[in-house]
Amino acid sequence: MQMYIVTFKGGFNQQASRSLQQHVHHLGGFILMVTNNGPLIAIDDAKAAAVAQHSSVAFIGGVTFNPRGLAAESLQRIFADNLSKQVIVQEATARAPEKS
Amino acid sequence: MGVGQDLLNVPFPQMIFSMAQAIAKGQLALDKSSIETLKVLANTKFDWLPEITEVLYSRPIKISSPNAPPNTVASGVGVDVEPAQFMPLTLLQAGINPTFYQFTDSIIEVKMSISSQTSSENSLDVGVDVSASANFFFGSATVSSHVNYHTANKYSYSVEGSSLLRTELKPAPPPQRIFPTMIQVDATDPAHVKITKS
Repeated sequence: MQMYIVTFKGGFNQQASRSLQQHVHHLGGFILMVTNNGPLIAIDDAKAAAVAQHSSVAFIGGVTFNPRGLAAESLQRIFADNLSKQVIVQEATARAPEKS
Repeated sequence: MGVGQDLLNVPFPQMIFSMAQAIAKGQLALDKSSIETLKVLANTKFDWLPEITEVLYSRPIKISSPNAPPNTVASGVGVDVEPAQFMPLTLLQAGINPTFYQFTDSIIEVKMSISSQTSSENSLDVGVDVSASANFFFGSATVSSHVNYHTANKYSYSVEGSSLLRTELKPAPPPQRIFPTMIQVDATDPAHVKITKS
């Protein structure tokens, strides 16, 4: 998995953001953080091209974490927090069919 | 056609040039994309709350229960929460860098299978037939011979080839000349302003 930043065509809007987040989840990726330009996501390298094909995506670029950044620790906490919520959601979704 | 000539006919210089050209084009596209990512990161701002100050102070609690002895006071603690001001920060400042890539090992592999086969078949068939007859007046004899010579030469030559071009792409540290220098001016104490570069 690698981190990517994604920007939207014509700037950020809620509908496009939600649609993209669902698309990323569908591809097995995670939303690390949502910014006013677009989300930071973690997804398998092979799936990055599929994210770029989403109709609202203007640009997708690979990023890495810089531990010496001013807010590196805060970002790490935000990423971990958001990631943990999505992992639980995915587990629950995966278990649901077994119960039915 | 000789085997040596076939090996010489493999267009190595052209293959290497084509591969190098493809790598150079790919590297250029990747670098452009990384620089574009750098611009996006430098333009993406978010409000960062660097710290929240909590001030703990003593706040005794007077117990008013009829079951408690009069004037009973329990030690209590009050908390004042003072969030610092939000600081607009770009993702680049915060700690997100663009990923740069570079091509590392590149391999051109050419496999050739050359087979050459020569076979020769010769056959010789020689025969002599003699027949003789005699009667009252005269005698006769016939001699006949035949020579059959058969020769066949077979020559086969085949060349099969396959080529494989492989290259590896790995993340690389950002080039220092492209990456912006962070200049931090610490003016918390106006009498001693500190400037640091990183």
